[in-house]
Amino acid sequence: MSWLYHIPRDYIIALANANKIHYSFSYAFVVNGLLCAFIIGPLLGGIGTMVVAKRMAFFSQAVGNAALTGVAIGVIIGESYTAPYMSMFSFCLLFGLFLNFSRNHTKMSSDTLIGVFLSISLAIGATALLWVSAKVNTHILDTVMFGSILTVNDTDMNVLMVTTVLTAVTALPLFNQMLLASLNPSLAHVRGVRVHLLEYVFVLLLTILTVACVKIIGAVLVEALLLIPAAASRNLNRSIRGFVWWSIGFSTASCIIGVYAPMRWDLPVPSGGAIILTSAGIFLITMIIRMTLPRYREASV
Amino acid sequence: MRGPSIDFERVNLSLGNTPILEDVSFKVQAGTIHCIVGANGGGKTSLVRSLLGQMPHSGRIRIEWHDSKVIGYVPQTLDFDRSLPITVLDFVAMASQRRPVFLGVSRERRKEIADKLEQLGLAGKLRSTLGSLSGGERQRVLLAQALIPEPALLVLDEPTTGLDLAGKEILEGTIKAFAKGGGTVIWINHDIVQVTELADALTYINRKVLLDGAPRTVLANGAAAHLFPTLILSAEGART
Repeated sequence: MSWLYHIPRDYIIALANANKIHYSFSYAFVVNGLLCAFIIGPLLGGIGTMVVAKRMAFFSQAVGNAALTGVAIGVIIGESYTAPYMSMFSFCLLFGLFLNFSRNHTKMSSDTLIGVFLSISLAIGATALLWVSAKVNTHILDTVMFGSILTVNDTDMNVLMVTTVLTAVTALPLFNQMLLASLNPSLAHVRGVRVHLLEYVFVLLLTILTVACVKIIGAVLVEALLLIPAAASRNLNRSIRGFVWWSIGFSTASCIIGVYAPMRWDLPVPSGGAIILTSAGIFLITMIIRMTLPRYREASV
Repeated sequence: MRGPSIDFERVNLSLGNTPILEDVSFKVQAGTIHCIVGANGGGKTSLVRSLLGQMPHSGRIRIEWHDSKVIGYVPQTLDFDRSLPITVLDFVAMASQRRPVFLGVSRERRKEIADKLEQLGLAGKLRSTLGSLSGGERQRVLLAQALIPEPALLVLDEPTTGLDLAGKEILEGTIKAFAKGGGTVIWINHDIVQVTELADALTYINRKVLLDGAPRTVLANGAAAHLFPTLILSAEGART
């Protein structure tokens, strides 16, 4: 699979070596970050619209926090602490399923239950990880929370590619059904939608892509990229078509600018922070447009 | 399109220890408008949700399908975030097509939706957001989605609540035309005037079936005066 990014990576490095683009792109790790930005941007921007529609904004944050415990378990059972994917995926999938199961069976509102699980997962994860990191003498907590897009390797990119394909193959054919179920489950059921099954599918999907992105952009930033571009797009759009495409555009632009700008102008800002600041800037602009231009106000009547 | 006939046989339903439906038995004839009336909390919506396979119940609900098994359903309300950018076209299309709506709607389906909206007095609302519609307009959009693709059975849960007179007339005309075309309608309805004028049959439910039959026969029953005296008075007033 690595040929998929070897070709563009070599091409970009060649361009940088020929002084056609900024010299920082002559380093493979910078190009890796840029390639990840091209994948993560559309992925999180697209799924983010469904997250906003389903009012599950903080779910990925809870799963991201659960990844802390996953990493700790991975270190304990002997996985590499830089890429403990098996334990992260296993623990987070169980966590996500249990959260959804609890939501269905307690009938508690999503935001309350996710808030409770978010706090618990952070507490357990931080405790477990601090204990483990003392043993391996490293600061894994920072890596899981904030990621490091400039340290991704081929394994991380393989995981990301598989996750992207899985998400596209699953979410595209089910998009209408998931959206309809979020608007009126009863109506969706009459239309042949298996509402509860789809809830689990979406939760699994969101868990998998959150874990795949944690190492690269961190738990905090995954949630931000799922939420902010979709919220910015909602400010300007009146149709699902615009909502999804603009969210993908905003998210991708944020990722690319976030990786490129600090390199290009030697800004003392880490890539993750730059991605979110860009995305926050876009959100503020769209919010001002919505507040000042009457044609954008209709949707909130 | 020939609608199904439906046979409710001793349907029982409890939520926890609370009985919601007890031995509910009645028949819905194919191609008729059958109204279900009764007090709030009497189990009407639960009965309809049992019919739709959404509530576990005992007893039998036998549906005898003829041409197709498509059900159109108009829920009581659409509880959603009003700021979501979903147009009327998006909503109706997402309920009736497989292609993700953000990748577009086929020309044929778009025309079908536009025609149906026009028929329901919503011409020009194709690109309006759901959040910007009035309650009455949203009810008519819900009916439009229920009619695409054409169903054999139409299940309505108080669709005329919040509608103005013009909206009511449009909706009534559409439902009448649907039943005239052979479709079966099950309609939860509180408006006894409407029931008297439109329904072929009426079933009054308050946990159990208390009245069942043709509206005029049922309303002539002495028990009816006890169950909804004010409604009968207003119905008589409307007829005179």
